[in-house]
Amino acid sequence: MSAALVLDHVTKRFGGLVAVHDVAVEIAAGQITGLIGPNGAGKTTLFRMISGGTRPSAGRVLFQGREITGWSPHAVCRGGLCGTYQLVRPFPDLTVLENVTVGAAFGGSGRLGGRTPRAEAEEVLEFTGLAARRDVPASALTLAQRKRLEVARALATRPSVLLLDEVLAGLTPAESQQAVALVRRIRDRGVTIVMIEHVMRAVMDLSDRVLVLNYGRLIADGPPAVVTSDPQVIEAYLGPRLEDP
Amino acid sequence: MRPLRPASLAAPVLGILLALVPLVAGRNITLLNLGFFTFLYVAQGLAWNILGGYAGYVSFGYAAFFGLGAYTTALLWLAGWPPVLTYPVAGLVAAAFSLVVGGPTLRLVGPYFSIATIGVGEAMRILMLNLDRITGGASGLNLPTTVPSKTWFYYAALVFAALAFGVAAWVRGSRFGLGLAALRMDQEAAESLGVRTAVFKNLAHVTSAVLVGACGGLYATYLQYVHPDTVFSFTESISLVLIALIGGLGTLWGPILGAGVFYAVQDYLQTSYPTFHLLAYGVLLIFILLFEPKGLAGLVGRAWRRTRGGAPPPRAAAGAGVEMAGPGRPGAGGPA
Repeated sequence: MSAALVLDHVTKRFGGLVAVHDVAVEIAAGQITGLIGPNGAGKTTLFRMISGGTRPSAGRVLFQGREITGWSPHAVCRGGLCGTYQLVRPFPDLTVLENVTVGAAFGGSGRLGGRTPRAEAEEVLEFTGLAARRDVPASALTLAQRKRLEVARALATRPSVLLLDEVLAGLTPAESQQAVALVRRIRDRGVTIVMIEHVMRAVMDLSDRVLVLNYGRLIADGPPAVVTSDPQVIEAYLGPRLEDP
Repeated sequence: MRPLRPASLAAPVLGILLALVPLVAGRNITLLNLGFFTFLYVAQGLAWNILGGYAGYVSFGYAAFFGLGAYTTALLWLAGWPPVLTYPVAGLVAAAFSLVVGGPTLRLVGPYFSIATIGVGEAMRILMLNLDRITGGASGLNLPTTVPSKTWFYYAALVFAALAFGVAAWVRGSRFGLGLAALRMDQEAAESLGVRTAVFKNLAHVTSAVLVGACGGLYATYLQYVHPDTVFSFTESISLVLIALIGGLGTLWGPILGAGVFYAVQDYLQTSYPTFHLLAYGVLLIFILLFEPKGLAGLVGRAWRRTRGGAPPPRAAAGAGVEMAGPGRPGAGGPA
């Protein structure tokens, strides 16, 4: 089992606030890793340090053995690591197909094998179940479809590691189920997935391994069942156990 | 956003028709002058639109490129070069300057970028006014009086406009254009999908600067006189912004329609009521911002669709998509 992604003691400080404190993790290739933690725990900051949005204050990020610390997002993306945004950000005036074509045309350069970005984008739309809406402007999509588009766009860059930031938040149970199935099928294509998620059922269902962040520190790491029964994790979410009087 | 059949034929047809004008009315100097200036503004408006419309970086500093082009041609012409050979050099000088300016300013976004470009434009004007050894300062430079005919200028400007149209049309349909559209709507998202936004913005800036610089050169030849206050004027910068806005920001045909209206209005009103045309632009601008953000091009497009008996407007198309999404969806959970 080789490590697709290594976080080597990364720390991020914003002034006096330590958003992420000395996190050291190795993510195995081909797995789905869940990243959970209360609001403000530093999950998104951790993602941004991986995908190039912010530079770590200390520590290194290694992707497939190569150090990518401080690379700009476009370089990281073209290297094969792509992330989605928590708040969906489609290009509103472009059609669904054009949105995905951006990912296909610019991400993972030179790996199209002679196909056009458009053909690649069409295949991704088929795969993600958005084909019926391909010619609609992205601004006309429902939230569930926008989240799906966000994933489709990232997928079109042909990543080997995909970071998903709350792709299930705000979805109805039925939509959520479809999204879970999609994540699973992406994993089955051989893509390593790290996902931030608050919907616990989905995290339990999907993840091979769960990481828990609290106040920027990694407080638990292991299979879903083990992590959720960890007293530290329960305390982070629910507060300390009340002592008997 | 694929080009329509009739639309892709329209440009060559229009070009040929305009090329026939001097054959029919070769003696009409007024008409040839009107053509020259309109084409010159069409070319510059199209060029400006590559950065301002496609990439969304509204610059108020393009007079710097125009002026540098004009002065490059002026100085080389005085040094004995034939004017035609100076135009590419004028374009290159403007391009080099655009790289110097674009490096720092294109890191700014929205209004901050626009304000910075005003500063750059004005700084260039004042610098050139004070470099009187080179630029002639406040008295300008008189250029050689041996110039080609008005017909020649008409065709030269038409060629520039056609060239600019070709470049703009190519950019719009290319991978480059897709990248610019993406970064216009969401720079961070574009970046995370692999678009090298910094490189693309600068490429768009350079591409348009080359064209505007060459136009400056042609203008200098036509006037046989250059003065820092005219070729580096803020009015020149504003004109390009107005042309693109009136015509339709980010549309292919916008600058053509915009420049046509812009120069016709200016030419007609300036002679009789010297500053009245500014009021006309202002009113036009307000109407466009209020009612048709896509400018004249949007208006024409709407009329075109209506006369053709209602190709479904976008909203109806979206509605049809909703219905189709129903049966399409179970496929999402299909075989892995």
